Amino acid sequence: MTAEKPHVVIIGAGFTGVATAHDLALRGCAVTVVDRGPIANGTSGRTHGLLHSGGRYAVNDQESAIECIDENLILRRIVPQVIEPNGGLFIALDDSDLEYGERFIEGSQACHIPIEQISPQEALRLEPNLNPKLLAAFTVPDATFDPLRLALSFAATAKSNGAHFRLFTEVEGFITDGQGNVTGVKVWDRAQDAHGEIHADMVVNATGAWAGQIAAMAGYEGLPITPTPGVMVAFDQRLTNRVINRLNVPGDGDIVLPQRMMVVVGTTSFQIEDLDYVPVIEDQVRQMLERGAELIPALKTANIRGAYMATRPLVGKGSSGRSLARTFKCFDHKETQGIEGLVTITGGKATTMRAMAEKTADIVCQKLGITAPCLTRDVPLLSYRQFYILPN
Amino acid sequence: MDEATNKPSASNWLTWFDARRRDVGYWAFALNRITALGLTFYLFLHLGVLSQLSQGPQAYDHFIAMMKQPLFTAGEVLVVSAGFIHGLNGIRIALNSLGVANAFQKALFIALMIVAILVSFIFAVRMFTA
Amino acid sequence: MAQRWTITYEVFRKKGSHPPHFDRFKLDVSPDEYVLDGIERIWAFHDRSLVFSHACHHSTCGACGMRVNGLEKLTCITPIHKVTRDGGVIRVEPLKNFPVISDLSVDMSLLYQRMEMVGQRSVLPIEEEGIPDGLLYGKEQKSGHLRLADCIECGLCMSACPISATTSSYLGPAALAGAHQHSIADPQAASLVDHADGVWRCHSAFECTSVCPSNVNPGWRIMDLRKRLISSRILGIFRRL
Repeated sequence: MTAEKPHVVIIGAGFTGVATAHDLALRGCAVTVVDRGPIANGTSGRTHGLLHSGGRYAVNDQESAIECIDENLILRRIVPQVIEPNGGLFIALDDSDLEYGERFIEGSQACHIPIEQISPQEALRLEPNLNPKLLAAFTVPDATFDPLRLALSFAATAKSNGAHFRLFTEVEGFITDGQGNVTGVKVWDRAQDAHGEIHADMVVNATGAWAGQIAAMAGYEGLPITPTPGVMVAFDQRLTNRVINRLNVPGDGDIVLPQRMMVVVGTTSFQIEDLDYVPVIEDQVRQMLERGAELIPALKTANIRGAYMATRPLVGKGSSGRSLARTFKCFDHKETQGIEGLVTITGGKATTMRAMAEKTADIVCQKLGITAPCLTRDVPLLSYRQFYILPN
Repeated sequence: MDEATNKPSASNWLTWFDARRRDVGYWAFALNRITALGLTFYLFLHLGVLSQLSQGPQAYDHFIAMMKQPLFTAGEVLVVSAGFIHGLNGIRIALNSLGVANAFQKALFIALMIVAILVSFIFAVRMFTA
Repeated sequence: MAQRWTITYEVFRKKGSHPPHFDRFKLDVSPDEYVLDGIERIWAFHDRSLVFSHACHHSTCGACGMRVNGLEKLTCITPIHKVTRDGGVIRVEPLKNFPVISDLSVDMSLLYQRMEMVGQRSVLPIEEEGIPDGLLYGKEQKSGHLRLADCIECGLCMSACPISATTSSYLGPAALAGAHQHSIADPQAASLVDHADGVWRCHSAFECTSVCPSNVNPGWRIMDLRKRLISSRILGIFRRL
């Protein structure tokens, strides 16, 4: 903790944590990011890498759709070095899809998402592996990104502005003053197997799906977060250059996207109790293959390269994962339980990481009395490799 | 772990000879080192042998008689073998190093080694029946 | 497959400056699960002090490379049945030739530094990646699509390379392959690795190509770089005549 800059400790080196570190470092904070593992070892690393155009949410969740298209354009500008910017398609295969198409057009227009309807023949010309029976197609500005390298790019830029990263360091509890306000974190450096403390003027809980567990360490049991895992299956052929979406209400297995020499099909949605390990459910893997093959029949002859589960942090408690809004929420624990020094940010999706960080940094800076504006919309990010080149 | 720090070090030279579980190319690499060491050792041996000439005809004849024993003949077959293995693989490496025949470097190695084994066998037959 | 196997994981452990040792964990697994899944379960249910690196779980981040029964593997896409059988042992160790942070995690800074130095392009036109044996040099029609490079900077090649084992100054297969990839767009890039610790230090073991999980084929790329460096030198002689 330096005398000049306020020291903020961010728990969690996933997308939210590194983007917030980047924002706060630019606004003049001394930042330390702690994570029990390496960068993006939680949910963030496991995203299939869809940079949403927002088209998926243009009908049912327009707030989310607008967030997506805005952030999509920003990320394409500030960090192109980790993005496959080849656009996406929404494909209609049956009448239900076609009907949805009408609402899709309206919704996309309302959310200023640039779409274009193209003929099935044109769609097949663009992507020869599509289901030849497709009935309608729309282009959207979807894209694919590399999950780890996107996180590393934010982390590298934050590091270049003075942020410190303490990886493999697990938060075991909070340090509080006499009144219950948070003044730091107690940590277990798992690499050295040593315990210690890090003092802070503000702690940001950016642990995503684990936000409830961390908040509980500070005595707040009711964080409205529903960890919702889903399956992803990667196949060993690059069967498409564009993101392929099913033109219908968001469902399971309705996205196929490229990444390097693979395609990834996702995802599902269900409830779990144990966050730290979610086993792969064979039925869901099969379901991805079947649903994905409706969009790209050649998937049936591709080999499965990997299958895994990723747990999204959905905000708001409910019984069905799909009906929760995909927005993010920032909780100032002064408001939730009357203690200073702790702010929790959770929910959201990878595409909106920068916006989540901006809102979080706004609250943190307001509480710390910092008036510097957010600069992250326009500052280009450094090469992700700089994270390993810059000294700690 | 060969070293406390797991970092590159000249003391890891033994790994050059450990081709267990490795692919064909690593075996070729290890074999080239082994045959190189063997041939170098043989070179010095050979110089030692030639120095026998200076000891006069009796010492030399005694030495030649010793060399005709099966154990030593077998050793000489090994030398021939090493020569062919090292030489033929060396040609493959020279070609590869110039960017030639890389697409089938594994197949080329196996083919050349079959040649080396056949030639060694022929030499062995000739040397043991001479 | 509803089959279950009983497997023993022998896991390399190292904390701080204490001497390393192996811990054994018996696990009930499905043979179709990945080696990384077992390691994750060991951490989640048996030993929370286990340190290991992972992120994407689908071979795009390159974080989970380890030595499995002596051979370099990307553990997120290596099924258990490929490395052992029912009742067998999976010995897991960190990659070689990188300093160990703890247990199964290594510090790959050197790899990333060298990739940056050679200017490997992380995103590039799809026609310029995965070039088979020099067929492409401006002949393919450009589609305008870009994609992430094949190389995921996983370090398996540097761990497997016998030369990298004995000298830290050798740039290593990953960086050399990266220089080759860069030189497709900018031939000058080849000169970045035209020195005794660059392309000329390779001894053709081709183990890099063998362990690479991503089709980078560093062995071929190193030799192709040599071919082009020699050609340009020879042509240079003729030009000066």
